[in-house]
Amino acid sequence: MSARNFRVAGQRLPRMDGIGKVTGKHVYAADFTLAGMLFGKILRSTRAHALIRRLDTSRAAAMPGVRAVITAADIPAVRFGQAVRDTTVFALDRVLFMGHPIAAVAAVSLEIAVQALAAIDVDYEDLPAVFDMEAALKSAVLVHPEWATYKALPIIARSGNISGRARIKAGDVEAAFAGAHRVYEHRFTTALQHPGYTEPRAAVADWDANGNVTVWTGTQLPFDTQNTLAEILDLPSSRVRVIVPGIGGGFGGKLRIGVEHFAALLARKTARPVRVITTSEEELTHSYPRQATVVTLKTGVDRDGHLLARQGRIVLDCGAYAGSGPATAAIALQVLAGPYKTAALALESFAVYTNKGTSGSFRGPAGPMANFAVESQMDMIAADLGLDPLEIRLRNIVHEGDRGPSGEVLRAVSIEECLRRAAAAIGWDDRKPAPGRGKGIACGWWMTTGGSSGVYVKINPDGSATLVSGAVEIGTGAITGASQILAEELSLDLADISVTGVDTQAAPYDYGAQGSRTAFSVGNACLAAAADLRRQMFAIAAAQLDAPVEAMVLRDKHVVAGDKSISIAEVARISRLSGGGLIAHGTAISPSPAYDPGRLENHPLPAWNTPSFHAHAVDLSVDPDTGTVDIHRYVVAQDVGFAINPTYIEGQIEGGVAQGIGQALSEEIVYQDGKVMNANLTDYKMPTALDVPDIESILVECASVAGPYGAKGVGEPPCIEPPAAIANAIAAATGFWLPSLPMTAEKIARELRARRK
Amino acid sequence: MNKQPMSLLINGETCAAEVEPGRSLLDLLREDFGLTGTKVNCLEAECGVCTVLVDGMAVNSCSTLALQCRGKSVTTIEGLSRDGHLHPLQAAFIEHGAVQCGYCIPGMIMNAKALLDEEPDPDEATIRAALAGTLCRCTGYQKIVDAVAAAARQMRAPAHQAKMAAGAGGA
Repeated sequence: MSARNFRVAGQRLPRMDGIGKVTGKHVYAADFTLAGMLFGKILRSTRAHALIRRLDTSRAAAMPGVRAVITAADIPAVRFGQAVRDTTVFALDRVLFMGHPIAAVAAVSLEIAVQALAAIDVDYEDLPAVFDMEAALKSAVLVHPEWATYKALPIIARSGNISGRARIKAGDVEAAFAGAHRVYEHRFTTALQHPGYTEPRAAVADWDANGNVTVWTGTQLPFDTQNTLAEILDLPSSRVRVIVPGIGGGFGGKLRIGVEHFAALLARKTARPVRVITTSEEELTHSYPRQATVVTLKTGVDRDGHLLARQGRIVLDCGAYAGSGPATAAIALQVLAGPYKTAALALESFAVYTNKGTSGSFRGPAGPMANFAVESQMDMIAADLGLDPLEIRLRNIVHEGDRGPSGEVLRAVSIEECLRRAAAAIGWDDRKPAPGRGKGIACGWWMTTGGSSGVYVKINPDGSATLVSGAVEIGTGAITGASQILAEELSLDLADISVTGVDTQAAPYDYGAQGSRTAFSVGNACLAAAADLRRQMFAIAAAQLDAPVEAMVLRDKHVVAGDKSISIAEVARISRLSGGGLIAHGTAISPSPAYDPGRLENHPLPAWNTPSFHAHAVDLSVDPDTGTVDIHRYVVAQDVGFAINPTYIEGQIEGGVAQGIGQALSEEIVYQDGKVMNANLTDYKMPTALDVPDIESILVECASVAGPYGAKGVGEPPCIEPPAAIANAIAAATGFWLPSLPMTAEKIARELRARRK
Repeated sequence: MNKQPMSLLINGETCAAEVEPGRSLLDLLREDFGLTGTKVNCLEAECGVCTVLVDGMAVNSCSTLALQCRGKSVTTIEGLSRDGHLHPLQAAFIEHGAVQCGYCIPGMIMNAKALLDEEPDPDEATIRAALAGTLCRCTGYQKIVDAVAAAARQMRAPAHQAKMAAGAGGA
């Protein structure tokens, strides 16, 4: 595909929203203001698990400047949630975690709203709490004693504190273990990681005279937010309009409703527009961070290091509500299998409630956690058998036509090329170049999430095109990429394409900015719309040029038939006079591969669409005294299918690796007895410009069948392998693996000291 | 509540305001003057997205009192491009793919401007140290560092120097 002679697709063109963003003109949700707007604040629980004995808002409500105080008693009694409908807007009679919303205030200034929160009286009676996810599996303390009464997706298996259990099974693991040369068992833990978007979650809500509400918000999923708001407000969804002005990052943390419902409920109560923005403390105590997990792996191999069987279990801490936990935990099972051929698999996931803030689906949900376990253990096995880490992977990886863990046939498999190119680039032949210095490698696979996309494309009388889409440009450049595809197909330049903002009232449906799918899926919808527009234009041109449609092509902004041609602009003008203008509705849905249902139990995402393959290699040093890790070089070889815009794909890789380095070395939301101990951006340590090395990107193009021009999903994979690649390089440098994220300098130094004794 | 009159220069224009003693420069810029290019996030001087220049120095406007800027010259992202011409830093950020979600970019660019005004020929380590006070979660910083280095090269070039001397374009 990439051999095709493209003019626009595949080119390093500047993004369409760049000028607005460098001049400060691009409006984000947090910038949005309406006349007469009030400011909303949320009162949050100071106890981890307690009965609310008394809740008195009268002093707050009487304060000058306070326009409304609302609690659970003032709003429809609704439970909502993605997999499990377990979530309420406010705590009912019981708070389930520190930070649990209890009440909300709207006031004429932020200062007054904050003062009003302090004037709300709450008496608590503490209850026994459960904080440890493994203890929660068997604890008598139930976070949701009424769990059995909740509605849930039929596929989800629940019980007590378990909000979702899924399995993948193939072959006979016990027999395979019995016949194995060696069997290895390891346990790994990973920590809570905040998505770290720089724009806090923000929403402005306003009701019109007819009882319709409009919400301007930085959400990744405008249509999901519209539906959830409709449920919470007890309205038909057509009366809820969600507009996304601009969004300052999301990374999965802005998928599910954040502050939109507080703004909408307060605005309804006050009949005034209301803005709600989160603080850093709220972000680090009640947002949707990457779940903490415990992964146990038991792997049997033959004498030559071939994988014979794997038993794996991931326990994932959802916090107080299931959120995306059940699906995230299930996705981990495919990652636990890895891009490897293993005849016998017994993989099991548990999503578990605890008395902590709800977690979410941060970029590549469950990917880095499960990959850290699998790829660390691959190196441990290699070391034990005296094999090179690259070699043991090459002996086990999948190839074209092999079956994946769900029994699906794998196509466009490129893992060998990724591994070999990453290894060559890092200089794998010299893996331990100096004392305290080592190189590590890790590989993996990931899906391109399905879900449908619709677009309208309109040809304007000046020959330009307008793309109307409900897809959110979250920052990846996905909409620029989709527009490059559209321009290519219509023989236009990228500058000829303009994009309207996201508005659920006006735009066709899109499944949302999630799952590495936007450029892929919107790109495919643009292909479909362009095909329809070509049909419409050729029909008009046929009459004008007196030429058969079959002979026509689009070239250089003209419909061309042999030596005759007419400009697209002219065709659009004719269409306006005769047929209401040129407009097309393009749609796309990612095809699901066939799989073996007998291998799966209670798995909401049974087989991966259009998987991508990738390998990371890193060269680093470990300070023998402080344990500080200094990364010298970092190489990523990622199969992107077709590089729609290499610049922004590199941007995805560089940014994803930076997040992965944070997860690997420094980032953790630290809980102690249900309380977050580092709820600020000094003590929650995200990488700065001084902490991230240059990342060398190798774009592998093994064309997919389903993606536009062969493209595969790009956005999530780069953050999956860094923890494992870095763990393996640390092991090459020091001789030991740390099975616990983050691998802080403190942990490394402690281990170095222990080994010196 | 005890408002005090003040005036200051914002992007070269004299501006008057009545300001409570506790108000931040960030709040003044965004709420009173509609200059929302300066972004809001942590409000604790930890993330740097609110960076502006006060008398040429990069500061976190969230943690600078508005009244501290009485009589001073404040430059925000809106003050960089003139007459539709992007500042070399702005152009380089676009050219080098340094912009993703864009939310940290105004703060990054103001930080970079303060650096280049003081050190026109910084090496990579100097650029990284200067930008370390502003968090970016999208880019991994690499293309931002590249963009600042490229802008520095362009601003040192004779053509740009001549343009600056003639008083045209770019602050």
